[in-house]
Amino acid sequence: MPEPDGRARPDRSMDLLNDIIRQPVDPDYAVVAARGGARRPRGRWDLALVAVVIGALFTVAAVETTRSAPALETERAELITRIRQAEAQQDAQRAQIATLDDELARLRTAALGDDTEAKELTAELTALEPATGATAVKGPGLSIIVDDAPADSADSRDQVLDIDLQILVNGLWESGAEAVAINGHRLSNLTAIRGAGDAITVDYRSLTRPYQIQAIGDPRTLPARWVESSGGAWWNELAQNRRMRYEVTSVDEMTLEADPGMTLRYARVQR
Amino acid sequence: MIPLLGLVAGIIVGLVLAPSVPQPLEPYLPIAIVAAMDAIFGGLRAYLEGNFSDRVFVVSFVSNVLIAALIVFIGDQIGVGSQLSTAVVVVLGIRIFTNAAAIRRALFHA
Repeated sequence: MPEPDGRARPDRSMDLLNDIIRQPVDPDYAVVAARGGARRPRGRWDLALVAVVIGALFTVAAVETTRSAPALETERAELITRIRQAEAQQDAQRAQIATLDDELARLRTAALGDDTEAKELTAELTALEPATGATAVKGPGLSIIVDDAPADSADSRDQVLDIDLQILVNGLWESGAEAVAINGHRLSNLTAIRGAGDAITVDYRSLTRPYQIQAIGDPRTLPARWVESSGGAWWNELAQNRRMRYEVTSVDEMTLEADPGMTLRYARVQR
Repeated sequence: MIPLLGLVAGIIVGLVLAPSVPQPLEPYLPIAIVAAMDAIFGGLRAYLEGNFSDRVFVVSFVSNVLIAALIVFIGDQIGVGSQLSTAVVVVLGIRIFTNAAAIRRALFHA
């Protein structure tokens, strides 16, 4: 549509939206009106039929939506129940693993007997088992509690990430910790600390905040070495600059459960 | 008067029969409703401007609903169904708002 002075309008290539806005009424109304006005109809039965259809459309859609809402809710609740059940089953199986492990240890001791070779083997086992996380251990050490920054924090990203926990745990190992657990989950060299969605998982079980890390180690050197380690420096920075919770306490005695996930996947005993 | 009675009758029919929409037709129902609303507002505006014609209204309603459903159907076949539903809703939505503004001007002179 050229302007009165003959120049093309600058927005003529974008006529689509203009057309929609300029001509919102069906142009046929104008055409019919121009042709001689609306004839007095012989009865408005087609109009009534369309009105019925429109009314039914609205109602059916509304009914449909309200009807499917409870169904969705039920589905969600069902899923939650199934997740709970699976978690409970996992717990039960972990407990079963622990029982079987105990029995295995008892049978092994019985089978080894008490000659010198057996005693050497037992001694080696006793030395290795705590370090690998295969048995429950107790002793003095550090308890570290960390958590996200307060909710009124300026930056909503001030949250504990999987990498923060990884650095923390690695710092503990570096400082001479002999056994480490996060929220009661014992860590071994096979443990994965991962972020999954909003939660951090340890051995694929999600953690709830706050995170409590327990580490058993020499009570005289562990705290000092922890402060100097890379993990200690990292968390000092997080606590000071990002107001994240970070509390370190020395504990005289704590017990860390065995890691139930310990298993041999590829290695076989040499005969 | 007749359209109003028809509307009420339709609502009652929908409530009483409460037919369940077949699964394959479900995505088209909301689109059909938006198209119907567009036809209604267009018709109302034409009525207030004094050139309403029921034949045009009926034809525009039926064709609106059918074309909107057809667009979404074709979109479903070529894998852009939800995008095309959005396009239909946006375009018809703009028209509905423009018509509503015109109706408001005609009714309240504001």
